[in-house]
Amino acid sequence: MRLCTGLVMAHALGALACAPEASDDRPFVAAITSDPGQLNTAITTNGGVHTAAGVLYDGLVELDLDLNPVPALARSWEIENDGALYRFHLRRDVRWHDGKPFTAADVKFTFDELLLKFHSRTRASLAPALERIDTPDAFTVEFVLRRPYAPLLQQLNVEEAPIMPRHVFVTGDPLRNSANTAPVGTGPYRFVSYTSGSEIRYAANETYFRGAPAIANVVLRVIPDPAVQVIALEAGEVDWLFGVPGPERNRLRQDRRFVVEQSPGYSGGSNCVSTLAFNLESPLFNDVRVRRAVAHAIDRHQVLERVLFGEGRVADAPISSGIRFAHASGLSLPDLDTAAASRLLSEAGWQRRANNVRTSGSVRGVRDGTPLTIRFVTMPGQTQYGDLLRAQLRVVGIDLRITTMESAVFSETVFKARDFDTAIISYCNGTDPEIGVRRQYVSSSIGPVPFSNAAAYSNSEMDSLFDAAASAIVVEKRTSLYRRIQELAVRDQPYVWLAETLSTRAHSARCTGFTISPHFVATARCRD
Amino acid sequence: MYGIHDLAALRCYSALSRLTNRFVVRRLIQAVPTVLGIVLLGFVLVHAAPGDPVLALAGENGDAAYYEFMRERFGLDRSLPEQLLTYFTRVASGDMGVSYVQGRSTVALIAERVPATLLLTTSALTIAVLVSIPLGALAARRPHGARDVGINATVLVIYSAPSFWLAQLAILLIALKLGIVPVQGMTTAGSAASGIGHILDVARHLALPAIVLSLQELAALVRLTRSGLIDELHRDHIRTARAKGLSESRVLLRHALPRAALPAITVIGARAGQLIAGTVVIEIVFGWPGIGRLMLTSIQTRDTPLLLTLFMTIALTVVLANLITDLIHGILDPRIRVG
Repeated sequence: MRLCTGLVMAHALGALACAPEASDDRPFVAAITSDPGQLNTAITTNGGVHTAAGVLYDGLVELDLDLNPVPALARSWEIENDGALYRFHLRRDVRWHDGKPFTAADVKFTFDELLLKFHSRTRASLAPALERIDTPDAFTVEFVLRRPYAPLLQQLNVEEAPIMPRHVFVTGDPLRNSANTAPVGTGPYRFVSYTSGSEIRYAANETYFRGAPAIANVVLRVIPDPAVQVIALEAGEVDWLFGVPGPERNRLRQDRRFVVEQSPGYSGGSNCVSTLAFNLESPLFNDVRVRRAVAHAIDRHQVLERVLFGEGRVADAPISSGIRFAHASGLSLPDLDTAAASRLLSEAGWQRRANNVRTSGSVRGVRDGTPLTIRFVTMPGQTQYGDLLRAQLRVVGIDLRITTMESAVFSETVFKARDFDTAIISYCNGTDPEIGVRRQYVSSSIGPVPFSNAAAYSNSEMDSLFDAAASAIVVEKRTSLYRRIQELAVRDQPYVWLAETLSTRAHSARCTGFTISPHFVATARCRD
Repeated sequence: MYGIHDLAALRCYSALSRLTNRFVVRRLIQAVPTVLGIVLLGFVLVHAAPGDPVLALAGENGDAAYYEFMRERFGLDRSLPEQLLTYFTRVASGDMGVSYVQGRSTVALIAERVPATLLLTTSALTIAVLVSIPLGALAARRPHGARDVGINATVLVIYSAPSFWLAQLAILLIALKLGIVPVQGMTTAGSAASGIGHILDVARHLALPAIVLSLQELAALVRLTRSGLIDELHRDHIRTARAKGLSESRVLLRHALPRAALPAITVIGARAGQLIAGTVVIEIVFGWPGIGRLMLTSIQTRDTPLLLTLFMTIALTVVLANLITDLIHGILDPRIRVG
């Protein structure tokens, strides 16, 4: 049995308890790119909704900077039956923004009626493992699982499992509940108003269980154009940007009025790895030598510098280094080696005359004389990848044909129609490999589901390893299983892991004390 | 007491009014199949376009069962003719549907955004008309003179410049460097102003997007007014007016301009409808909360019910704008009879 009691948090979440008495009445204005449309984060994984509404809610736990769970709505928890039973003891001093008390019934209702039905990620990952949720008393919740399930705690933070008020959602269709645009939560800020397409206003929750935030009023301002967001920051109209376009970052860094910071988290995910996916169903990529050749032909340092403006790190393993226990160090990922790439391509039957594009000769499934032209599909924000990769692959005689398509069409083309050879996909690994890595490799994830197994990689050993890692409660055991998983992935090369990307955010230097969490502003304070 | 001439005029007016009413009613009846046709075409186009609304809506990390569940919820698991029948049955009963993404009535969502777009477009059109007609008249007074060449060259440059570029330039120069007006939005963030304070706040925010949006219209209208006037000034009735000793200004303003303005009014009428849909770029750059942005988002998310209601709204606006244009034509040019 593992017992975790309410530890005093050293990191910024705990700073709320020490919030200063003085409050700042000037609204803190944060720019958001899209109008979220609604503010219920339990019924969607949409990044825009989570960015806009994260401050309104809490999860049972929070995750610290090392992704370890720490108490939030749950003050402590116990794990029994070798990881098949999780018992949470809830705080008794929490009230909803409308004054009603928070109880175990809210937790059970949120999971049963909202998260497990409408939150695609929680439904996909937790539903198969969960037997039922019990509430032995008003402040105790038990998750009874069908089998030992290691990553549960990493899936109970406010991003993955925000808790909603049962009394608000118990009647009617949750997707059409008026509280979706006038929400009630337990978080550090409460809802004030929502002007469609324009702004959302929040006020500090004076009765927040960690203490009221120092900044009294927060306005989320919809500014669709990222370049205009930067100008609005410079003009003093906004105080916070969730993202900064690459070319603007240096300008802001050189201006002492602003602070530019990086974090591994995005509104739609965290620990993201920019990845080139091969379509293994295409005859061009049946042969691992061709996939390895492409990997050798790519200068990933150049990708980092030119496409990502140096913000991130070249990937050295399939799993992000942000998930420390699962990231395997010392793997030998193919680095830039055009000679090796050319040799592998020739061995695989792709011959080259002079500096022309290679053509096939006795390649299985490909008519002799077919040029090595790869259909590369990408979304509008990632066209720089295509331009750079085309130049790099041309050196070894590969022709890249780029097609740019909007995200809805991209998802359908890659995951449903499978009408592509290669594609750039940012796989956000999340806080545990079960959340964001498994879907990329297991054979059950091959199908019309966006951002799943784009390569259509199928390996029964890989499937078994993921199942074993999900059930292993001892961290060391999981570490060794994920190492084996990554060794297999590197051997079979269904993807090229280009770079671990970072999110860049900027804010007015008059404000300090932000955290990397959906409650980012709750610990901050601003000078007049 | 009415005199005999007054009674005749009254009878004539009432006959004209009946004629006009009949014309309006007929045009409105004609609008029904037009709008329905546009919605039907929109329905087919939206469903023929690649991109699954459920994939767009649900985002990543779902599983097949989840997508199936959502498809069933939205009725997307049924055949296209079935979906079309359901949609038209609902529309016939006055139910325009609920947005897939926002879970709210599409009419309510559009109604929230229409005032912002109307304010922006009518302001832009007003600016364009008020500036373009004097400029066009100024240019037409001495065709190919220095003033005409200068005005022509300027409007040509404005007309050729992409609106997103003009918008960015205006923001950088006028809002950021000079600080005269705000960079973005329709009101100051978090503003608690009401009454006259609120109106002034909106006016400050409106100035720049309205001017930038008016520029393209202005450029087209200046050229139309100029060419119409040059043509008109060579006609017989103008020569007669001049021979009667009327001043050049009076000739221009009273005799030439009303008829020369007809092509410009036709264009304004046509543009009024287009402007509703054509503000997308300006609304995005200036963060203006209008229906242009709503339409773009609904296309990106494949929010079919919202998109179809938007199509219907825009189609109705275009029909209405054309009707008003025809009526104004009838007033300005007595030769044109609406009937």
